[in-house]
Order: sequence, then structure tokens, then C-alpha cells
Amino acid sequence: MVKVAIYPPNSLILADLIERKGHTPLVLQKQIRQKIKDPEIDSPPMNITEEDPIKGLKYAAIEVPSGVRGRMSIIGPLIDDAEAAIIVDGAPFGFGCIGCARTNELSIFLLRNKGIPVLEVNYPTNQDETYVMVNEINEFIDSLEEKSQEE
Amino acid sequence: MSENLCISPKLGKEDWDPDVITRMIILGPGARVSESEIVGEFHMLGLPLTIKNTCYGSMISGKKEDVYKAIKEIRKLDPAHIFTKERGFAPGDPRRCRGHRFGPREGFHQMEKEYTILGYVAEALENPKEATVEEKKPVSVDEFKKIMNESLENKE
Repeated sequence: MVKVAIYPPNSLILADLIERKGHTPLVLQKQIRQKIKDPEIDSPPMNITEEDPIKGLKYAAIEVPSGVRGRMSIIGPLIDDAEAAIIVDGAPFGFGCIGCARTNELSIFLLRNKGIPVLEVNYPTNQDETYVMVNEINEFIDSLEEKSQEE
Repeated sequence: MSENLCISPKLGKEDWDPDVITRMIILGPGARVSESEIVGEFHMLGLPLTIKNTCYGSMISGKKEDVYKAIKEIRKLDPAHIFTKERGFAPGDPRRCRGHRFGPREGFHQMEKEYTILGYVAEALENPKEATVEEKKPVSVDEFKKIMNESLENKE
């Protein structure tokens, strides 16, 4: 089983296609669940704590706005765990859950530079493009299976 | 809108259990099962789950192994059109549930966007085939010049 990071990290289609093949998608919802089930965080627990920007320092420098560092404290561990990644390019405005263009850029940069297999697919707008996207993702996941078997 | 900002939920024992997970079951366009059929099927499985009927499908919450077992069974009804997704908050959590707050639920917009291509994805999963897409290229400089000159001449 390979842990596959997806971008946007809350994508239904990407996560579902990976799970169908028996792999684990690294989705943001799992991180959020950990955060809201942590009894040490005061209510309302989705608020950022003073620890979060400090954790985010691992991924972004001190000069980087605290919003980016706060977001990276949640997304960063997913990037650390990733053994492969699928990124959607050319998506319409508002696609994804991050709400911060710089965090998106930084996360995609970190995934590309990690030295793991990365697949970049174009956001489909019609049926043929969707066929291409689904085929590319399935081929990529199958190639991961072959690699893990070789190892 | 202050209701949206400072909700201090009274959480039950299950809400704090890290082993309890929530998943959304989303039916793609053209699904051969309905939302209520899915919910009925979940009940018939007899697993200790919290099941909620929603407009897009359903939402189930329970111990990890029970949830994955239920999803495996429910997918058999229509493998190509049933999609599932993780959810951080439990069903009816006042910080997300629209019964307790205003405006669309967080995550709704992403689902709305993805729903527009979900039908195509289901079709691609059901009848896989090779497809090629012509890559769109910008107009060449010479052609652009030609069109520009033509339109300028026509103007005069």
C-alpha cells in the first residue's frame, strides 16, 4: 500500500480513485479530525493554536506570513508522509480548500522537490479530457504497485 | 453571523474517540441507486454505525473497521457511481451542521465543483477507453500579424 498525497488535499475524485486501487490517499480531512478530537485544544477547536505557526517553521521561513505557516502545520505532515503525489493543474478559481495561493505554491513546490513520483494532470472540462485524466491516474497508480513489488 | 464564529459544542464520548471516523457517500449523476436505498442498505448491514441521509447520498460514522466494511458492501450496489470521501467532523456537529449555523457548509463548494465532472468520471470508470485530447496552442505570430493587418485594412 502506497501513501499518495493529492492536491487539492480534499479532492473527492482523486481520493476515491486512489482508494479504489487499494492505496491510501493523504487527505486533509484526516488531519482536521485529529485536530478536532484532540482534548488538549480548547473549543472551538478549529482555531489555530500558538503551536501551529511554530510547527509550520519546519516548512516555511520566519519571514513567511503566519497564515502560510499555520496552514503548513496541517498540510506539512501530509507532505512528509507522501510516497507519491497527484497534482491537479489548471483548476478553476476556488477549486481546493486551502484559501491561500502562496500555501498552494509552497505545497506543490515541496511535493515536486521531494524526489517522489509525481503525476500532474490537467483539470478536465469535458468527457474526453476526463477519460485522459482517469486513465493517467490509473496508469500512475498501477506503476506504483509495480515499483513497490520490485522493492 | 456571530453564531458561525463561537460555537462551543457539547461533544459526546464518541466525538472524542480517535478510532471513530466519518465518511461521506456521494452518488454521481446517473447512479442506479437512490439516497434512501443506500441508507436502507446501510441499516440492513446491522453494523454499529450512525447513518445520516443527505441530499448527495449519505454520511456514516463509526469505528474504522465497521465503516470500511460498510463501504465495501455498499460499493457493490453500483461500483462506478458511488464515491466516498473522508470527513473531519461527525454528522450533525454544530460547527459544521447547517441546522445550527448560517451559509453553506464548508466543503460544499468543493463538492459542487467536483460534482460537475463526477458524471464523466463515473462514465470513464464504467466504460474505460483510450482517448486523446488535442492540445490547445496559441496562434503563431505570423498568423496573428496576418489577421491584424486584414482587420486593419477592412476597417479603412
